[in-house]
Amino acid sequence: MRGALRFPRWAVVLAAAWALGFGPSLEAQERYRRTPPPAETRQGLGLAALESFEMANGLKVTVAFRTGSPLVTLQLIIGAGEADSPAELPGAASITARMIGRGSKLLSGGQIDDLIESLGADYSATVFMDYTVFKLEVLPEFVDRALLALRLMVLEPVFSERVLATVKRATAFEQTDRKKDPEFVGWRHLLRLLFEGHPYRAGTYGEEAIKLIGSKEVQSFYSRHYLPNNAVIVVSGNVDAAAVSTKIGEHFSAWTRRAFSRAQVPPPPPNGRERICFVENAGSQDAIIFAGNVIMDPAAPEYFPFLVLNQALGGATHSRLFMNLRESKGYAYYAFSEAEFYRSCGVFWVKARVTPEFIHPAVGEIVRELKALSLESAPAVEIEEAKAYLVGNLPLKLESLEGFSEWTARLAALGLDSGHWNRILENIMVVNIEKVLAAGRKYLSPAPLVVIVGRREWILDSLADFRVVEVYDSNGALKQTILNRR
Amino acid sequence: MSVFRTLKTRMRKEALVVAVAAFAALFPALPAGGQESMAPGWALPVQEYRLKNGLRVILSEDDSLPLVTVAVAYRAGTVREKPGQEGLAYLLETLMFQGSENVGPLQHVGYIQKIGGELNATTTFDKSLFYQTLPSNQLALALWLESDRMRSVRITGASIEQQRSRLLEEHLRQMAAEPIIGSFSIFDTLLYPDLLYGRPLIGSGEQMGRLTDADVSAFHRAFYVPNNAVLCIVGSIQAAKAKDLVARYFESIPPGPDVPAPLPPRFEQEGEVAVFHPDLAAPTAGFHLGYRIHPLQPGDAYALKILEYILLKGKTARLRARLIDKDRTAYHVSGGLEERGAARALKIFCLTNNVVMADRSHRAVMSEIERIRQGSVSEDDLEKAKRFFRTDYFRRLATRQERAFMLLEASFSDRPLSSLPNELDSYLRVTARNLTALVIRHFVPRNKVYMRLGPR
Repeated sequence: MRGALRFPRWAVVLAAAWALGFGPSLEAQERYRRTPPPAETRQGLGLAALESFEMANGLKVTVAFRTGSPLVTLQLIIGAGEADSPAELPGAASITARMIGRGSKLLSGGQIDDLIESLGADYSATVFMDYTVFKLEVLPEFVDRALLALRLMVLEPVFSERVLATVKRATAFEQTDRKKDPEFVGWRHLLRLLFEGHPYRAGTYGEEAIKLIGSKEVQSFYSRHYLPNNAVIVVSGNVDAAAVSTKIGEHFSAWTRRAFSRAQVPPPPPNGRERICFVENAGSQDAIIFAGNVIMDPAAPEYFPFLVLNQALGGATHSRLFMNLRESKGYAYYAFSEAEFYRSCGVFWVKARVTPEFIHPAVGEIVRELKALSLESAPAVEIEEAKAYLVGNLPLKLESLEGFSEWTARLAALGLDSGHWNRILENIMVVNIEKVLAAGRKYLSPAPLVVIVGRREWILDSLADFRVVEVYDSNGALKQTILNRR
Repeated sequence: MSVFRTLKTRMRKEALVVAVAAFAALFPALPAGGQESMAPGWALPVQEYRLKNGLRVILSEDDSLPLVTVAVAYRAGTVREKPGQEGLAYLLETLMFQGSENVGPLQHVGYIQKIGGELNATTTFDKSLFYQTLPSNQLALALWLESDRMRSVRITGASIEQQRSRLLEEHLRQMAAEPIIGSFSIFDTLLYPDLLYGRPLIGSGEQMGRLTDADVSAFHRAFYVPNNAVLCIVGSIQAAKAKDLVARYFESIPPGPDVPAPLPPRFEQEGEVAVFHPDLAAPTAGFHLGYRIHPLQPGDAYALKILEYILLKGKTARLRARLIDKDRTAYHVSGGLEERGAARALKIFCLTNNVVMADRSHRAVMSEIERIRQGSVSEDDLEKAKRFFRTDYFRRLATRQERAFMLLEASFSDRPLSSLPNELDSYLRVTARNLTALVIRHFVPRNKVYMRLGPR
């Protein structure tokens, strides 16, 4: 062809090789850099089976073998949490747990602190909705002494009025301090309203409630719930199950059982109507939005499909809520969804931090996203991505000593079957589009309860587009209900 | 003294004797520290080598969970900034997420999160560190991502402006929410008067606002190069396979110009520095107190760590026990040991209800340090601190990420990695005499900086 450029054959071959990524120059990148490399075959979790047995006094013992650290974690779990506080004494479970370790028949609180720290151990007491965990992390050579310390603290406590006053003061201070955090205020208000009239409402107490608790009430709560037949000891670490079980027997077999039964509390009904609640918080820079509802308990068949659903909805920065509210619309600094599970039910919520002028459209988008997952199947690729996240993230959750012990304590306290431990990956992998849609239909169809935390002056403009707004003060008391014209 | 009071005192003493006797019967003496060491079965296998382009690589295998941490650290911390460039190192850290030749803006985050991994980055005085932990079958993905931004990060005028605005906005928001935070960076400039080592991450934000695109590009070209970086991989890997992947993704990245070591810290303080900052917003009153430890003598680093535990760690640590439980002059005391290159500092932060209590608390801290100078640390105190330290040490190193950080720290401070598995023993060999000598040597007025907060 006249005028056309012609190249010798060797030059064409060289150019082709270059294009295929064999070129020697670094100006053109190697071909394998263009796309992400494929994953190799996934390795199994390799978790050792939990070993459990029950002592004659009804105390259950679970040993969870783990490597990766020589430390041993001892957890004594009492089957009573915030929700077990008497209705007229919310906070009793927390105050009782905080009194443990503040003095025993033989040792003062200071001596107990000395004893624990002389072992190099770390002690904590955490009260959940349904159970309480006393935890000691200890060097392997001090397991026996740590069990002795735990026994003295939990089985032989003394509840003096003087120490109780200090504990109540510290608890009230913490509660007051937490009110500075608008996320905490919103979350607590959501739970208060969802659990209205239900024992779980006791878990949302404020600083005022604990004034009513005296040492008699603490003793009464302790006597009722701190029983071997209402407790589990979980030991995790690189330990010999038989040896550690023998030691537990030596320390705890004298703990006397008493007749005790714990009723299964029915779940509260989910919120079913449009409800916008505004909680005043003078220090807020941005609005915090919560939208949530009551869902299933962790033993329900929809549990794993709901985990997948939640992940697709708002589990990460590539999930629907974040991509929509932040990346696409620019309403929010963040938007995620979470779920928490208790003995009789679970709760899920969307949480978003939003610029005040976008409160109304942001709530609209959140509600729309929830509805979408209750009406339409999510694409298969989205479901598979959500599953991949959950499967990949599980070992990270179990990697730290804290994560591992929290997980094992939850299994033991809620009496969850092995499907939550040695079959968990399989249970996630079998979730499919239909199961996710069924979970969405059942749990995302009811209108969510919406709680917005922000400054009072936003009511006039940022909330004017809502038909009805319930306004609460920072302590959660209803101040007024506003009817807007739309 | 009234009879009643005497009786009460005697009763208290008798009760104490009974309690102490019961305590002793229940808890006979614990073994002496020399017998305690690394736990059996605990190991930190390490391999290290260099690629031709100068990239230092550290591998550590652990197959207890199917996870791997991949961390890349560049010697590109705030110490590299020139005068007037405050905030440049931090800005570069955020720009590393804005895309490279084959990875779009923020896609690095998306790739890692989609498979359940977690990631983050941080900038300190000496380095910018990028790290992710993810399922071990995805090791190649992390290496692909890190190598792509090492060789071809995309920095544009628009991305610089966008990230700068975001950082400044977040910084101002944080300062408004917690004004006391500002006092920490001001204290650092006093504690490290050598500007290089005391520079804050952002400061007031004014200098960051004036940075030019050329400043950013020059900083990147000079410091974000393989010969100024360390790659650390910890987790369920096969070393040979990991080496192949590292070679595949990193070997062809060209080295940059030689990077000189930053200047060592210089301190020329004559006497104690005592400063009052009434304009700093403190909730009530309080103070920052610090001692600079420089130059270090052999063994000082280990003794300092144990001293930190004796003074500050745990409910029964000396300063907490004295200020909060015994004297009740303070409601908050915290602090710790900080390492900045060849210099270390022991920092204490205390909050009190009023100025009088702040002064009393300050005097109490000084008297506790004086007690150590006089040799008040008993064998029991020492063993308790060491056990506490050992528990913390093992707890921290339970995760691959923390082990990677430890290896990188050692690498940056030029400690041989082969010595790390035995390093714990060096801490456990510290004696009470070492502590006394340390305090006599370093806890002197010329190393002390005191900054009081709150009303005059």
